[in-house]
Amino acid sequence: MIRGCCLKMDLSLLKVLEKERVLEVLRRDKQLRTIEEDRIRRMKHELQDLRRKDVKSLGQQYGERKCACCQRPLGKLWNSGAVCRGCSHRICSMCRVGAIDWKCEVCYAYRVVKLRSGEWFLEEKAKKFPVTTDKYETIGEELLKTYNVQSYVSVVPPTPPPHLDYQNLGRSGDLKNLKPFTTSLENLVVSFTSQMKKISTSQNDVRGHLLKVDNSQRGPYFNYSTQKSLSDTDISKSSKLFKVPSLPNLFKKSKDSDQDSSPTGTEEETSFSSEYSGGVERGSNGSISTDCGLVENITVAGELELALAYNTTTSSLDITVGTCRNLTYRDSKRRKCHPYVKLCVLPDKSVKLKTTVKRNTTDPVYNELLKYDIERHLLFGKRLQASVWHSGTLKRKAFLGDVLIPLDGLMFEDKASQSFNWYPLCLKADSPDGGAV
Amino acid sequence: MTDGDYDYLIKLLALGDSGVGKTTFLYRYTDNKFNPKFITTVGIDFREKRVAYTATNPNGTTTGKTFKVHLQLWDTAGQERFRSLTTAFFRDAMGFLLMFDLTSQQSFLNVRNWMSQLQANAYCENPDIVLVGNKADLADQREVQEKQAKELADKYGIPYFETSAATGAEVDKAVITLLDLVMKRMEQCVDKPPAEPANGNGATKLGDAQPNEKKCAC
Ligand SMILES: Nc1nc2c(ncn2[C@@H]2O[C@H](COP(=O)(O)OP(=O)(O)O)[C@@H](O)[C@H]2O)c(=O)[nH]1
Ligand SMILES: [Mg+2]
Ligand SMILES: [Zn+2]
Ligand SMILES: [Zn+2]
Ligand SMILES: [Zn+2]
Repeated sequence: MIRGCCLKMDLSLLKVLEKERVLEVLRRDKQLRTIEEDRIRRMKHELQDLRRKDVKSLGQQYGERKCACCQRPLGKLWNSGAVCRGCSHRICSMCRVGAIDWKCEVCYAYRVVKLRSGEWFLEEKAKKFPVTTDKYETIGEELLKTYNVQSYVSVVPPTPPPHLDYQNLGRSGDLKNLKPFTTSLENLVVSFTSQMKKISTSQNDVRGHLLKVDNSQRGPYFNYSTQKSLSDTDISKSSKLFKVPSLPNLFKKSKDSDQDSSPTGTEEETSFSSEYSGGVERGSNGSISTDCGLVENITVAGELELALAYNTTTSSLDITVGTCRNLTYRDSKRRKCHPYVKLCVLPDKSVKLKTTVKRNTTDPVYNELLKYDIERHLLFGKRLQASVWHSGTLKRKAFLGDVLIPLDGLMFEDKASQSFNWYPLCLKADSPDGGAV
Repeated sequence: MTDGDYDYLIKLLALGDSGVGKTTFLYRYTDNKFNPKFITTVGIDFREKRVAYTATNPNGTTTGKTFKVHLQLWDTAGQERFRSLTTAFFRDAMGFLLMFDLTSQQSFLNVRNWMSQLQANAYCENPDIVLVGNKADLADQREVQEKQAKELADKYGIPYFETSAATGAEVDKAVITLLDLVMKRMEQCVDKPPAEPANGNGATKLGDAQPNEKKCAC
């Protein structure tokens, strides 16, 4: 019996040594990770300087056409700038990096950081192993935490003498304190990995739950017809792939008459045509430039009040839409304004959040909290697009202006954006792009 | 010893049966030394090396840009009893050195198993992998023919190298090839259109039920 006991002790000692070996590796890994995190923080800091310049530009636009990077005015016919496919801002030819696949300087800087910070990898990994919390970015870190908790407990009792009888100890009720010694490395890992599996299977696709709105906002906004959306996706795909020249005609039919009903008849945004006509044709001073249908001369005015915060408990970006003031009328004849605010986190335009519609006001008060489910680290390089729309008759809508807010700041505690801020509304650069003649 | 003065941190991982030479291979790569002693790797370990990486165009010409890359090379124990620990680390690696022993037919046969382990546990379904047949210096004990191994690598569409941790032959080349694959993958990931549907996972995005906003057709 004594022999059996000593054998068991040896074995558990070996496991403890193994555990120590692994722990040491994990600690070295942690050191490297600390250096890496520091490096990434520095990179993002530099980006924030760029971002500040960018935010400043929001305040100066007010419908004027300026390059979003350098603030130089843009002409109507020549040097009219082009829309950056990264951020949807209008960019002059001097602020572009690259040839055919160009991006604006800001987007280019974002891209470089995304590469160098390893953000690309986290995004790819999250597709296969969706994370419910972004507490741990690597297995090593998670294991280290698990182990540290365990070894803390194991330090409490004094190291048992070499010929300690486990059974006696068990009777005296002290066994639970010794448990960490007998917990083998494998057991720990098995329980740990099975836990991981549980997480990844139960969370098959995090994006499936992305569109979540505070309960009070639930309602008609989420009644989408799947069939319709499929065909829409197909259309937009083919437009990208084949540049079908007649494509804009598909969306033309509602453009002649104000009274044209939306094809789907249910919700304005399920229809291309309504969005198109709302954005361009119904603008009071709307005119279309020849190249790719960009809005010109639409006056955009007014401001939008927002508060942004990252909520670590719900792993969501919490956007509180406060109020708007001094919105313009799009429906000039009837001077009607029924505004609502729509939120997207660019570059992903597929998930939209909306406030309720306020009727007959150019100074609507919302005070609505909208939650966008996203892992904190994925905020990096993303921008919040908050656009204000007039909800017109027969599900038509008209664009009243928007703001683009880089979200990198929320990667860290960003006190400034957590309280309400006023953002001047700008001209949406990409709204009618591609939808016009 | 490490400082943050580098442009990229790239994490690679060596896997394969116990005794094929993973630890020795990585030691050769990082320190250019050979240790004939067989010291069993306990669970996991890693080594580091700072390299200069020069990006190449698809046609093989260099772009002239050189970056400092900090390599973190994870070493794993091949033994079954560490399996759950080591495979858990697969998901944090960006590229893989799948190694077998040219003097052991069994270690070569097990490559298939390691491949499926990778598929299940790596960060994506088709990660960047380089197949490495090690101990090429032991020519008289060779059990796996180059043709055999090459065929398997072709089947998986991955590069194949015959290395010797003892002499150092092809060791650098195998690692650099993998690094190059990872660097190219990284650019692809960042430059692919953002609105592309999520790969697999079955579950449809709620967002998919809405029309994408129009993309410029000009
Ligand atoms: N001759 C020769 N021996 C090698 C080579 N690589 C590894 N070994 C030996 O093979 C044994 C196992 O190597 P090791 O790196 O510990 O294998 P691991 O279990 O895959 O990490 C050791 O004794 C090494 O010295 C090689 O290229 N040539
Ligand atoms: Mg080893
Ligand atoms: Zn410019
Ligand atoms: Zn841009
Ligand atoms: Zn265009």
